Amino acid sequence: MTSLYQERREDEAMGAQSGERLVEVDGLKTYYGEEGGLLGGKPVKAVDGVTFDVHRGETLGLVGESGCGKSTLGRTLMQLETATAGSVEYDGTDITTLSGKKLKEWRQNVQMVFQDPDSSLNTRMTVGELVMEPLNVHSWKTPQKRRERVRELLDVVGLSEEHYYRYPFQFSGGQKQRIGIARALALEPDFLVLDEPVSALDVSVQAKILNLLDDLQDEFGLTYLLIAHDLSVVEHICDRVAVMYLGNIMEIGPVDAIFDEPANPYTNSLLSAIPEPKPNAEKSRITLRGTPPSPRDPPSGCVFSTRCPYKIRPDAYENLDDDVWEGIEVFREVLRERGDVTKSVRDRLRGLLGMETTGMDVEEVVADTFDQLDVPSDVQQYIDEAVEHVERDDLVSAQEVLHEEFGSVCENEEPEQLAVGDTGRVSRCHRHREEYMGTQTYQDVHDFS
Amino acid sequence: MSMTENKNDSIVERVKENPGPAARWGAVMAFLLLLEFGAIWGGIMSIPWDVPVKGLADVLPAAIGGVVTGIGSVFADVGNAFAEVPTLLERQWIPNRGYHVPGEGWQGTFLGLEPAYAWLIRLTLVYVYAAVTAYWAWRGYMTFRRHYRYADWTPADDMIDRFRSHNWGRFGLIIVAAFLVMALFAPAVSPTTESQNMTNPYDTENSMVKYYNENAGEVQEVTAGSANLASKSRGDRQNFGLWTYDKYDRFHPFGTLTTGKDLFTFMAFGGRISLFIGLFASALAGGIALSLALLTSYYKGLVDLATVLTSDAFSAMPRLLVLIMLVTVLQEHWISDIYSGAFLLAFLFGIWGWMGLWRAIRGPSFQIVENEWVTAAKGFGDRPWSIVKKHVAPYVIGYLLIYLSMSLGGYIIGAAGLSYLGLGVTAPTPELGRAIAGGQDLITTKSWHISVLPGVMITLLVLGFNALGDGIRDAIDPQSSSGDSSGEAAAAGGGA
Repeated sequence: MTSLYQERREDEAMGAQSGERLVEVDGLKTYYGEEGGLLGGKPVKAVDGVTFDVHRGETLGLVGESGCGKSTLGRTLMQLETATAGSVEYDGTDITTLSGKKLKEWRQNVQMVFQDPDSSLNTRMTVGELVMEPLNVHSWKTPQKRRERVRELLDVVGLSEEHYYRYPFQFSGGQKQRIGIARALALEPDFLVLDEPVSALDVSVQAKILNLLDDLQDEFGLTYLLIAHDLSVVEHICDRVAVMYLGNIMEIGPVDAIFDEPANPYTNSLLSAIPEPKPNAEKSRITLRGTPPSPRDPPSGCVFSTRCPYKIRPDAYENLDDDVWEGIEVFREVLRERGDVTKSVRDRLRGLLGMETTGMDVEEVVADTFDQLDVPSDVQQYIDEAVEHVERDDLVSAQEVLHEEFGSVCENEEPEQLAVGDTGRVSRCHRHREEYMGTQTYQDVHDFS
Repeated sequence: MSMTENKNDSIVERVKENPGPAARWGAVMAFLLLLEFGAIWGGIMSIPWDVPVKGLADVLPAAIGGVVTGIGSVFADVGNAFAEVPTLLERQWIPNRGYHVPGEGWQGTFLGLEPAYAWLIRLTLVYVYAAVTAYWAWRGYMTFRRHYRYADWTPADDMIDRFRSHNWGRFGLIIVAAFLVMALFAPAVSPTTESQNMTNPYDTENSMVKYYNENAGEVQEVTAGSANLASKSRGDRQNFGLWTYDKYDRFHPFGTLTTGKDLFTFMAFGGRISLFIGLFASALAGGIALSLALLTSYYKGLVDLATVLTSDAFSAMPRLLVLIMLVTVLQEHWISDIYSGAFLLAFLFGIWGWMGLWRAIRGPSFQIVENEWVTAAKGFGDRPWSIVKKHVAPYVIGYLLIYLSMSLGGYIIGAAGLSYLGLGVTAPTPELGRAIAGGQDLITTKSWHISVLPGVMITLLVLGFNALGDGIRDAIDPQSSSGDSSGEAAAAGGGA
């Protein structure tokens, strides 16, 4: 069983300690579709400029809500998607430029474990054939040796030899995932991309699979990129964690530091969603307003600015009543969602023909948002101006008016990655800059939850 | 299962380890095949080898070309010699051709039996042989399953079980098998020979017919061609219908044609042509459809669009008219000579047959390609063609087979239709459509059999293939159970 990876185990264990970089991702972008097109479509910016490293021997978690680009990032690292820009250096080679034979050669180093074992295992092949397939593709040694190796692999992942000639559907979900892991290990890869490996499994089985992955990592010195939306899974198994939102990495750092003391506002709100096991525990849960913006048309500046509860206010409104400020933000979010450019072809045609109707009752929205509040007159005048624009079906002007007055650095400048603490953690937020109030201070001052 | 110890052996090693069952099965199978060794070689030699060899020789420089044709002719001689080896089911062992001498009974027939019974015995023997061989092939699969296969169970087992309990499918299989046997053993099941009936009726060596001339009171000989003149079915005036003897004591189980030739022989050899056209055209159309479906589903986008446009372009041309045009235009071309034009016909049917098939399996292919096992295969660096072959094709082939079984009937009918119009397969090669055309005017007379029997045969053949396709569909896809009227729709639209 231990013969599988023996030669390289020791140096890899050392590599893990030294924090040597195995994968270096720099400014990676993956877009679907193209700018322009017949009806003025925009590309989906699934991954929009991420920069991070994966160290040898570690487990890097990648978390974020659905549709934030985690899976696309994982697939781009595996060269299953073509990067639009940026580079991915694996052990010193830029793999985005590889092709043909070299790419095939390189693929042995990186393998993937998929989310849904029902879909990732060809149902018409036996377990033996499935696990042997990568070996066949790379003409690994002799057929006899391949069969032996498959048996060893089955043993390593906790299946038995009798399973060799069975078909995937004869297994439970957890066992199927073990088959998938055995297949991923077949070519002795160094780096495994685990794409939600346990989210399709029963909770009781999840722990077993995670422990198996943990054991395999210790044994073979593997490096993992664990894509997950289950934060407790990440906390359990990862060394470092990267938090993604709308194609960007908002914060990346050691898992303990981030879970104990999230620095980025997005991380903060994400972590506040973890349920507490104690029913009567006091917990402030941050509910974000609105929905995530479309990745076709991400907001200017910080991508999280449209929903951020810690958004920096213009100096003039620093002392504005919190509820009124929140009301303004909600109103802007409503306008933004209605004015979304990801319209159907029919809607776009209507727009071109000047028949566009937003179908919204702006008075009602304003009434819902501001009726209970004491809105200062200097704020009210801008709201009224925006409402006028909306009534003329001119959402863009309305948004511009509000942006002009209530916008801040968050919407105007893209935040850079700034170091937080001394644990090697970086986060993208303007609040980390000296001139602005930190998130914690802001929360204390404005006391929201 | 005694071999759980070491499961790493290849099939050859497994057989070596436990040679008993395989050897027993192999010996019987070899014996069965040996009985028909000559016929098998005859089949191989009947493929028009000279066409590719000649083509090759023409392309190559004269010196090498000469060598190629030389080698080819040596092979041809050896092959022909093998083909001469007598077989168990040859007509010479059970002759049905003889003459009746009053007072002395039948001369020259098997055991002096009436020709009808001699022929029946031979026919029965042929079918018994075919049934035994088919059973033994099945036994071979069962032997493999019992003694040499490691897996206790595979998905194919379930498919076979489902098919075995599918009566309509089994009916189709039997019909198709019966026609296949008739076509394969056409020389043995026919009451007369190919030479007498079709190719050389006036040959004084091979096509002589002995008969007892009552006027002269002695046995005389006449060529089959001359004899045929006296055995024409021409309606109410003169007719040789089912189960009759003509004036030369020749037996006609299905009667005679308007030319006086034996209809059964004509149909047996005509069945060969029909089956060849149907199977070849299906294989060609299916091959194109499958390749394109796999390519378009894998690459999508522009490749798919280009294929859609190409298929639309092909579909936009009226198939039958294009076929008629091409068959006419290519009449003088050497390709029309292969198999008396049947090859050209099958080829054209195949080239114009893939569009619908491709459309039918394009959807399922797109569905299957979305599975993550395709991504996984990409992930470990497999080549696109091998990915679709291993991970998409097995799921799509079931659908393809069903659609093929349905369109196959169309090809057969189409070929018969063209022959009916006097195009396509040329005389003397028999084609069922020509028999139907020839007997059309006599259908209200006593000679109705000339049109009706070939027509019934085509109908049965097409029905059989459709039933078989139905059975296969239900066997492959348990969700579309039989008796469900929406089954076809499910096969068309559904994935795995």
